[in-house]
Amino acid sequence: MNLFTQVLTALGWIVIALAVSPMVWLIIQPYLKGWSPAERRAMHLLRDMLTPEQFRQLTWRGYLEIPSHVEPRRVYRVPRTRGYVQVIENGHAIMRLCVQPVECLPDADLVVLHKLMIEANEEAYLQKANKYLCID
Amino acid sequence: MLRVMSRRGDDRVTWDQQKVLEGDTEAIAAVREAERIFAQERAKGATAFRVVQGKPIERIEKFDATAEQIVMVPRVVGG
Repeated sequence: MNLFTQVLTALGWIVIALAVSPMVWLIIQPYLKGWSPAERRAMHLLRDMLTPEQFRQLTWRGYLEIPSHVEPRRVYRVPRTRGYVQVIENGHAIMRLCVQPVECLPDADLVVLHKLMIEANEEAYLQKANKYLCID
Repeated sequence: MLRVMSRRGDDRVTWDQQKVLEGDTEAIAAVREAERIFAQERAKGATAFRVVQGKPIERIEKFDATAEQIVMVPRVVGG
């Protein structure tokens, strides 16, 4: 194999590595984030705030359901990672809510934030949230 | 215990209420520090919640040294 072929092969591998690395990063990023001290501390707070059943639901289903104190058939579905909080009534999503802290927080802290705000004062939470109606 | 949410996870200040009542200087200093942080965060728009196991979560406006746990969340806005 001459030098020219070797250089071409090396360049080929570099191109492949560059093309694949963003995809690899997207796959491993959530796991790396979980190792950060901030995420670990936030996860500790989350465990303290949730019952074992709630923690299981969040882990396995990817969301935490918080029953409404105002409307008995309503639950708030808080996602494990950042995103909209869904308002579910009679099993159907009727609204999406967007409430964000002004400071960037770890994902686990966001779940606690929604839980505390909904459970302590649901009306104030709804007033603060931007609402997006779900139309079937 | 006071827990303040931030980008670093939560910052904690703990104190022993019994020692505070007994006049322990370290415990009193910890309570004063917690009270200072509470006021500072409230001034920035943070909301405070009293969390007691088995009881409903309660929003509080004033620092409560007897609370089992106070959790503070930063100011929130509709996104």
